[in-house]
Formats: sequence, C-alpha cells, structure tokens
Amino acid sequence: MTRNSKISIIVVAVLVLGAAVAIGLGSSSDDGGSEGSEATAASSDGAAQTLRPDSHLLSKGPEGAPELVEFLDFECEGCGALYPIMEELRERYDGEITVAIRYFPNESHFNAMNAALAVEAAARQGELEAMYEKMFETQEEWGEAGESKAALFESFAKELGLDMAQYRRDVADPSTEARVKKDFEEALELGVEGTPALFLDGEPLQPESLEQLSAEVDAALG
Amino acid sequence: MQPSASPDTERSAAFIARAIGPILAVCGGVGLLAAFTLAIEKFKIVEDPTYIPTCSINPILSCGSVMTTEQAEAFGFPNPLLGIAGFAALGALGVALASGARLARWLWLAIQAGLTFAVVFVHWLFFQSLYEIEALCPYCMVVWVVTIVAFVYGTLHNLAQRNLPVPSGARGAADLPVRYHGVILTLWFAALVLLIGEAFWDYWRTLP
Repeated sequence: MTRNSKISIIVVAVLVLGAAVAIGLGSSSDDGGSEGSEATAASSDGAAQTLRPDSHLLSKGPEGAPELVEFLDFECEGCGALYPIMEELRERYDGEITVAIRYFPNESHFNAMNAALAVEAAARQGELEAMYEKMFETQEEWGEAGESKAALFESFAKELGLDMAQYRRDVADPSTEARVKKDFEEALELGVEGTPALFLDGEPLQPESLEQLSAEVDAALG
Repeated sequence: MQPSASPDTERSAAFIARAIGPILAVCGGVGLLAAFTLAIEKFKIVEDPTYIPTCSINPILSCGSVMTTEQAEAFGFPNPLLGIAGFAALGALGVALASGARLARWLWLAIQAGLTFAVVFVHWLFFQSLYEIEALCPYCMVVWVVTIVAFVYGTLHNLAQRNLPVPSGARGAADLPVRYHGVILTLWFAALVLLIGEAFWDYWRTLP
C-alpha cells in the first residue's frame, strides 16, 4: 500500500474513532439528562393541575379570575372549529378571565407535534399568540397532510419576523419537545382523551356553543 | 541535470493522468444532476411559496430554508444556473478526456480557472450555510463534494503535468501534494465534516 493510501486511511480512522467517542460521551450524558428530567416530572407536586405557572396564557384576567384552559392539537378539526369561538370569547371577556392553551398533540396527526414545536418555538420569542392564530387560520392548508409541514411552519415564523436561527434551534432543541410532552402527560393524568378539552377553574366543560360557554363563564364570574 | 521525480511521484502522476477524465466526468455529471434538481426546486418554490422541496427533511437538513436566502442568488440570479452551465462543461470535458482526448495547455488553464472560482464560491456557500443560514441543504452538499474533488484532482494534474508553471526550485513542493493526493482530499473533507459536526452539534445529539 502506498503512503498516500495509508495516511488517508489513518486520518479517516482517527475521525471515525473521534466521532464515536464524542457520540458515546454525548449520549451517555443525554441519558443522565433525560433520567433527571423524568425524575423531576414525577416528583413535581403530585396532583395534576389544569393550569401551571409555565402554561401559555392567551388572555390574563385579574387575580382570582376564572381560568379557562384549552388542551389542544393544532391539527384537530374540532380545535379549528373551536378557535373562532375562543377568539370571540376572549374578546367578550377581555381583562376579566384568564385563558390558557396547553399542548395535546394527537399522535395520529402527522403534523400535530411539528405544529406544537413551532408554536412553542414562537412562544420562546414572545409570539405565542400570533403563531397560535396562524396555525388555526391556515389549518385547512396543511391539516391531514401525510408529510412534514415543518418548512411551512418555518415560513410562518419568517412572516412573524422571528429570529430564524433561534427558531430553528428551538424547534430542534429536545427541551422544546419535552415542554410539549409535559403538557400532554399532565392532560392524560387529568383524564383528557381527545381534543379540544376545556377546563374552567379545573372542571371539565363540554360546551356546545359560544352561548353555552359564555353562560358557564358568566356563572364562574359570579 | 535531469530532474528525476521519485517513483512514488511518477506513479501518482500517472494515476491522476489516467483518472482525471473519469473523475471530471463523474463530478461534472453528479454536479449537473444536483444543480439541475436545485434549479427545478427553485422554480417550484417561486411558483408556489408554500411548496416544500423534496430535500427539506427537517429544520437542519433543509433545502427550502437555504434556497430562499439571499446567498442562494449570490450574483443576482439563482446559483444553480451557474452550476448547470459549469458542471455540464466539466462533465463534457471529462468524458472527452476519458475517451483519450488531449487538451491544449490553455484549455487546462481555463479548467483550472473555472475550478478555482468554483471551489472558492463553494466554500463561501459552505460557511454561509453553517454560520449564517444555519441549515444544510443536501443537494448543495453534493455540489460541495464534487467541486472539491474536481478541484483537487484538476489542480494536481495541472501541477504534475506542469500545465501550471512550476519554477525549478519549487518542483519538490509541487510534487509533494501530487504524491499525497488522497491525503489532501481526506484532510479536506475531514475538516469540513468536523466543522459541520461542531456547528450542528446540539442538533446531532437530539437524533435518536
């Protein structure tokens, strides 16, 4: 074998070895990390709650205001149908009630998780509400698709003027998905089986119209 | 005094002389395919801004986000158009060489100029992709690879055949890379792979 080939092979071998070591170190520290986060999730103050300090608020009412929480899936049609009702409700009770959304991406929806990641990444840049609205307003365009719409969601982020490098990092960051899954897990504990799932002050609601929902909120306002 | 190159150098020079035709033909052909595909995807994006290119796999491996940047039109028109012209010419010359054609020295120097421009441009795109756009486009990476291979072997051939002027005092220096052509290519790609690995380290870690 010529020295040319020998040295080339040695360089490749060193590189492959280095990569293997780096990946080995990386994944072992990853394991540690995910065990750690599971442990904290399990130990986080027992009972499931509909609203957490880190839940995303669409509207904020005063202290002690009724808290309306929607567990949603951006690809679910029912959530899309509820969207205008929620918008109307938020307008009607602006400043009187707190409205929060939490993630419940259904696995049978191809882009539910992608959409949730996009919204969470936007939320990290303070654009939760804009991305939430964008998702439901465009749901017909991308819902029920059989392939990833991550690039379309990326174009939404661009339209919203987000820092795109940051956005891409956040979408790819495992902590973003962990944040979405945390909501999902807690919803399961709360007995949520499908979306949209509404809770008013911790109690499940199944309104059939804006007026019914509005009546419930009126009752809670007292 | 007869300047006698070492047997190793002669062997390498002969290998490169034999291989340069097929190498340029393959690099030109593969580069042409990649550039052509990128151009088609670009047309589709222009027609329909929500179109998602076939090579947009995830946020990091994504043509869509790369193709819609300013850098994708470095000279005011889509880069793949340069690629289509350049790689077609390179591939045709490679096929001619592989069939036994001999090229005039001025044509070898023209090839050298083209390859040098291409390799500089491709590295500018590489660094833009890694540190400005922060995404990798698979077809673009194919173009990087074939451009580097074509540049390395084209340049070494021109050095070995003295198509490029080599002063008598610099013969040893010119023969060394010819002898170690494989090492040059390997180190070159190793450096790029390391830079990619480092730039997207956080992302690779998240893969299962």
